[in-house]
Amino acid sequence: MTRLTPLRLRSPGTVVLVVVLVLLFLLPTVSSTFFVDFVMARTMMLGLAAATIVFLSAYGGMISLAQLLFFGIAGFMYGNAVLESGARGLTLGWPGWVSIVFALVVTTVVALLLGALASRTTGIYYLMLTLVYGVIGFYVFAQVVPISGPGGVTSIPRPEVLADPVRLYYAGLVLSVIAYVGFRALSVTPFGRSLQGVRDDPVRMASLGFNVPLHRMLAFTLAGFVAGLAGLLNVWWNGQIDPASIGIGPTLTLLIIAVIGGMSRFEGAWVGAFVYLVANNYMRDLPLVDQLGITEARFNTIIGLLVLLIMVLSPEGLVGIFEKARAWWQRATLTPTTEAASTATTSTGVGRSGPPATADDPAADTAARSDTVAHDSPREGTDR
Amino acid sequence: MMHTTRKPRWLTMVSSVAALALLVSACAGDDTTDSADTTPEATEEDGEETEDPDTEGDETAEGGDVVRLGILGQCEGPFGGFHEDTVAGVTLAMINEAGATSNSPDTALDGWSGAEVAGTSIELTGIACGDDTPDTILGEVRRLVEQEGANVVIGPLSGDEGIAVAEYAAENPELTFLSGIAGSQEPTLEVQAPNYFRFHGDGAQWNAGLGDILFNEEGWETAAVIADDYSFGHTSTAGFVADFCGVGGQVTSRVFPPLGTTDYSSFIAQLPDPDEVDGYFWAVGGTGTQAALEAFVNAKGDLNGEQHAGNLFFNPGLASALGPDIAGSYVGGFASLPGDVQTPEIQDYLASADAAWDTLAGGVTGNEPADPSAAASFGFMYGYYSAGIALIEGLRAVDGQIADQAPLQDALANLTLDLPYGEVSLDENRSGIIDTFVQQLVLDGDEVVAETVAIIPDVTQAFGGTFSEDTPPPSRDFPTCEERDLPWEGNAIPVVDGVPQQ
Repeated sequence: MTRLTPLRLRSPGTVVLVVVLVLLFLLPTVSSTFFVDFVMARTMMLGLAAATIVFLSAYGGMISLAQLLFFGIAGFMYGNAVLESGARGLTLGWPGWVSIVFALVVTTVVALLLGALASRTTGIYYLMLTLVYGVIGFYVFAQVVPISGPGGVTSIPRPEVLADPVRLYYAGLVLSVIAYVGFRALSVTPFGRSLQGVRDDPVRMASLGFNVPLHRMLAFTLAGFVAGLAGLLNVWWNGQIDPASIGIGPTLTLLIIAVIGGMSRFEGAWVGAFVYLVANNYMRDLPLVDQLGITEARFNTIIGLLVLLIMVLSPEGLVGIFEKARAWWQRATLTPTTEAASTATTSTGVGRSGPPATADDPAADTAARSDTVAHDSPREGTDR
Repeated sequence: MMHTTRKPRWLTMVSSVAALALLVSACAGDDTTDSADTTPEATEEDGEETEDPDTEGDETAEGGDVVRLGILGQCEGPFGGFHEDTVAGVTLAMINEAGATSNSPDTALDGWSGAEVAGTSIELTGIACGDDTPDTILGEVRRLVEQEGANVVIGPLSGDEGIAVAEYAAENPELTFLSGIAGSQEPTLEVQAPNYFRFHGDGAQWNAGLGDILFNEEGWETAAVIADDYSFGHTSTAGFVADFCGVGGQVTSRVFPPLGTTDYSSFIAQLPDPDEVDGYFWAVGGTGTQAALEAFVNAKGDLNGEQHAGNLFFNPGLASALGPDIAGSYVGGFASLPGDVQTPEIQDYLASADAAWDTLAGGVTGNEPADPSAAASFGFMYGYYSAGIALIEGLRAVDGQIADQAPLQDALANLTLDLPYGEVSLDENRSGIIDTFVQQLVLDGDEVVAETVAIIPDVTQAFGGTFSEDTPPPSRDFPTCEERDLPWEGNAIPVVDGVPQQ
């Protein structure tokens, strides 16, 4: 799965992304304000946060449950800084831009410190440690009344320039595009390549002289910063934040979003967020579902079943299903000569060189061999 | 080893159909929004149309001048068991006063049909599913208003939710909000949204007079407090502390477990032992009440009812798990009254609930089907019933005009409701001025029941000057424990065998 590569401007995948991007920019002109504000704007902010989970997982081999903490820290810090009066928070009354910078600096510094602490752990220990970060964060904000307390910080104003819900959506879209392109571009930088090396074989990388903990710490810090951006969008959208916003439930929800979309491609983060939000908002409107006992009270059950279904269909999430569908389509449309060449290639088990017609498209390359090597390796198809 | 794994095609089909159905629903939701736009601009347009008397009847027929009512329930979280109660309360109001009929004989969640006041229909637009968190209820109220087109909202149920909804109300003055039974102080005293109305008291008001009785009649001089660490727990504690300390008592310890805690042992350990304090005040609610008391028994020995008092969640049902030792406890008031007080109005109200449904699976009966009057007699359903009655009375006062809601809001602010459990009027912040009924759990044979022991009349949110918009909201350490003059000190009206002695 060579998804984590820089964008190739002339590849079909890039063309599709550009088309999707154009559609997303045009969406507010054809869709209701509710859909833009309630589904798409939140898709952008949750997708942005989930993309940091994908980034850490795909580039660094680290599955983090602390990303919602940074999402929350940015929101709490912004609320404390920008509010001028009220019974909750520090009410520092700082200007909006100063508050934004303050929130992001605090979030990034906390991510740096926590990343340093976690940089020598891997696997299940890393997962548990970041879960502990999330739980500690919840209790810190719940217990330290001056900055939040159990009731949280309320009446947080949105910057005037983003007062229009459509503008907030565009802000989320622009930040999402920047993060997407940036993460993809990072894969070919020296840091990105060495980080992937750390993911694949940390012992070898250390023996080659790379500072493995430093790479992990910096990746964690970058992910924290991006999650902080998403947190700012969220607090502007919601107008309030409280400890329950970053509790264990929402923390797992963010991971579920990443899993639904697929942890192997950045697009999966936004796809997962979109599916989650559409299900959350519209599931109860499906005809006859209430007669099946599926009410709003059963939403978590439905999401759980949805995750199970996706896992059964494609461990790579919805994006993996799209990839398989595309591979099926390409196989169905291959000429006999090309198909023979493809079969000969995949039968070697190497699979690095796909059919000549798709040699420039890493995704197609992956798709062509996905059905044969999909379960031989936990990182099948990943760029090494 | 290479192998090929193929997924069953039916799975792909099922998932594709599900995804398509969701997308179709999304599109349908957009259509609904378009036809029931509640943006201020849309509301103004409605108002302009309604001013033309020639078209008024048509508008009603087309749904232009209709109350599109959204209900904020709570189907998850510590109070998720009371979801049915919340909708049932509003539905019963529609049945009793607006000519509606229930759509189901055994659940209120199916809504009602045929509600109309002064020619204006009241349609159930949607039921929100809260989980006791502000984030969720804010998302739900926005969905009801911005997607489903609700122009009047009844709810929410719980404290922090109330603050979030009141702030949303302040941002949307063209809509009208009636609190369900959210008992935190801030929605009215701090936020003061002019279109948010609360026809019930708050957690502090419901505990008025309790400290006076415990100090002066039961001899408590010191007390420890354990309460949920959120706005309603804080407000409940504030009422007890202000009252108990106001008459001379001392609160020596305050412990605040997070809402939703399941293991209370570490918090119980922070409380003084029974021989170190005269009594305990409990404001741990929902699913936590029983768990907290059981943890107390495990850590500090058997309950001695006379050493305990609690807010509304201290109910006779606890005896089924904790035994009769809980008898003797004093309990703060709530929106409704214990069964020992019966008036014709109360009897009519309870009978109307039994007539509306065959059974209801309310929270009081553990969500098991039971006589609807069981749910109706408890404050959750009654609070929502009161809000529904307020809406109906408000509509009557403005002759059903809903296009411009300012007159409706003016009418609501000046309403005095003659409700089954007593009159309720509103203060200047549109919060209820109520009579509080102090109760005690007593043994009736082998059964533990609640009995009314005193009435504290005309309790306001200001709590005898203790709270105002200039004081901090109730918190873990506010109010401080100090003597203060309270208007009801020594003036509680005793109740004997369900009969007020004055």
